[in-house]
Amino acid sequence: MSNIASNVSMPSTEASADNKATDHAVGNRSDHVVEVRRLSKSFDEVEVLRDIDLEVSSGDVVTILGSSGSGKSTLLRCINWLEKPDRGTIHISGQRIGIDENSRKPMSQKALAKMRAKTAMVFQSFNLWPHLTVLNNVTEAPIHVQGKKREEAEALALSFLEKVGMAHKRDAYPFTLSGGQKQRVAIARALAMQPEVILFDEPTSALDPELVGEVLGVIKSLSAEGYTMVIVTHEMDFARAVSDQVVFLEKGLLIEKADPETFFTQPKTDRVKRFLEKQH
Amino acid sequence: MDASAWPMLLEGAWTTLWISGISIAIGIISGLGIALLRIAKIPVLEQCLVLYISLGRATPLVTLTLFIFLTAPSLGLNMDRSLAGILALSLNTTAFNAEVWRGAFNNFSRDQREAAMACGMTSFTCFRRIMLPQMVITSLPGLVNEMSFLIKGSPSIAVIGIVDLTRVTNRISAVTYEPLPPILAAAVLYMAIIGGLIWLQRIAERHANRLAI
Amino acid sequence: MTNWDIVWDSRDLLWQGFLNTLSLFSVAIALAFLLGCLIVYRLEDPKTRWRLPLRSFIDIMRMLPFLVLVYLLYYGLPSAGIRLEAWWAGLIGLTFYHGAYFAEILRGCRVTLSNGQIEAAYAHGFTPSRMFIRLILPQLMIQARPLIGNQLVYALKDTAFLFIITVKDLTWAANSISATYFVPTEAFVAVIGFYWLISLVMEMAIRYAGRFGHKRGFDHV
Ligand SMILES: Nc1ncnc2c1ncn2[C@@H]1O[C@H](COP(=O)(O)OP(=O)(O)OP(=O)(O)O)[C@@H](O)[C@H]1O
Ligand SMILES: [Mg+2]
Repeated sequence: MSNIASNVSMPSTEASADNKATDHAVGNRSDHVVEVRRLSKSFDEVEVLRDIDLEVSSGDVVTILGSSGSGKSTLLRCINWLEKPDRGTIHISGQRIGIDENSRKPMSQKALAKMRAKTAMVFQSFNLWPHLTVLNNVTEAPIHVQGKKREEAEALALSFLEKVGMAHKRDAYPFTLSGGQKQRVAIARALAMQPEVILFDEPTSALDPELVGEVLGVIKSLSAEGYTMVIVTHEMDFARAVSDQVVFLEKGLLIEKADPETFFTQPKTDRVKRFLEKQH
Repeated sequence: MDASAWPMLLEGAWTTLWISGISIAIGIISGLGIALLRIAKIPVLEQCLVLYISLGRATPLVTLTLFIFLTAPSLGLNMDRSLAGILALSLNTTAFNAEVWRGAFNNFSRDQREAAMACGMTSFTCFRRIMLPQMVITSLPGLVNEMSFLIKGSPSIAVIGIVDLTRVTNRISAVTYEPLPPILAAAVLYMAIIGGLIWLQRIAERHANRLAI
Repeated sequence: MTNWDIVWDSRDLLWQGFLNTLSLFSVAIALAFLLGCLIVYRLEDPKTRWRLPLRSFIDIMRMLPFLVLVYLLYYGLPSAGIRLEAWWAGLIGLTFYHGAYFAEILRGCRVTLSNGQIEAAYAHGFTPSRMFIRLILPQLMIQARPLIGNQLVYALKDTAFLFIITVKDLTWAANSISATYFVPTEAFVAVIGFYWLISLVMEMAIRYAGRFGHKRGFDHV
């Protein structure tokens, strides 16, 4: 078991190295894993996102901060097209998501699903599938989306469950787990897709305070391993420790983008200053 | 009532059970089909299905059974009694089951569906792997409840001469001139069958509640 | 003369069947509802001796087909020296059978009612019977509205079984028209239309009653 674990402990860096190779081969875009350009989105006439630009390089951790209702979740959900943006483009490792570049029409279901499989998402409310055991939650997509063989998928799944410290619960059903355990399984499920980027939407907001640490710890270890991640969070200390880049949303506008040191010590805008003061 | 009545009663019970069993199976599957067609909201077809469900729920089984059995020959169909009975029972139970299935579909957690989409599942894979297995579990209590209603409605097939567990009591008392004992015996058999279903329903409910959290 | 003309000429028969079905149904349903309320009221007292018999009665009715109960009343009771006319056997059968179901529905809602308001009522000096009629029953009826609506439709459909014991109801009318003139399709379509109409009217009434509860904040039902 430990054998397999060490074999796959760095899948993301390998995968992204592959991507870079293919990107260069195709030679169409820069080496950003995620590239968002002039993204806008409205709900019932209310503009929730306006002209957002964001790029995430391979191996980077980008955290999205902002007050409640500022559009953080919407931005994250546009990246894997769970929300359909009104304007703008999103590329995942060089390939446009949502719109077929040749026909300029919405992508077919199949093509969209294939693009989504390059990303993975961890939700605030875990969203584990309650009818499947922990192990099957993790193997479900590798088997039925990526077409992996069951043995292969299970070996892989176990290695990821080991990584998040949940291998001992492989045969448990979700309803028997604590919130922190559920979220760690959800992270293993995301990892098992071997995605190019993992999107986290407030992964610890639904947890009891004493369980927050175990989940943040797992995410921190992933960042150390070089996974590319976009994280929406309200945990400032965590954001500061783990990020390569911090962006701040305010009423649908991206008003600040900086490395964590600069962001937390010398914010450019008054809005961010006030936001940071309120956190203490 | 002497010992020779019991084999007749059991034969009647068997008739009730096999005709109901086939109708239940048809009703569950076609109920799912109709629920999915309704969810697809195809114009005209949608209105037809709403009409069918409304009529199916309002038409008494006795009336429906007679209707089917008497009308079939005038349409040039040669309908065997059992077939007419099965058709009537399934038409009725399908209308109810369709609503049970549709409720399970409409109440399905959006969050879970999004989790499936985010993993790159197509709607079809998501339906087959994530939704359907859970819809089966959440619908089961309602479906089993419909099964007991079907059994309780099944004596209606007696009107077209099928000798089921209810009608067989007439047969027995025609010989013995003692109607009470066979009717009581039939009542006990029905209570065993339907009691069993109610017990199953409780187990199904316990399972469904476990999914809900 | 088309088949529909034949049915039209037999409208008296249909009308008689319709009235018979409707009167049986409405009298039975009123009595059944009363019986259901009485049972639930009896069960209010946790120490009542009636508890076991009433619970058994409800459970037995829930496990019996309606027609079997009718058989017991119509074919079985004469053995015990009680001879009932078909119409009366039907009425008694409908009342007891659906009374048990109403009791079960109301009892199911009763257990979800909070005990706080009942203590409040006692504190205000209500007697148990007044409290049941003034406070508990209205809430039960608002909450159980959709289930009561379903039960009304089931009861209407069960009246058709009474054709088997020779009650001259709607289904009997369809059957005799179809047998006399051999127009089964039209006769039964007409009669199914009647049943459908009655249930649509009931559905509308139940929905209308829903607005009553809605105004009082019972939104979740
Ligand atoms: N499906 C939707 N329909 C209509 N409005 C929506 C929808 N989803 C989000 N909104 C609105 O868009 C705005 C941004 O929502 P979003 O969920 O992106 O905020 P957020 O920054 O994630 O907030 P929080 O920190 O509370 O999660 C909010 O005003 C919200 O009410
Ligand atoms: Mg959010």
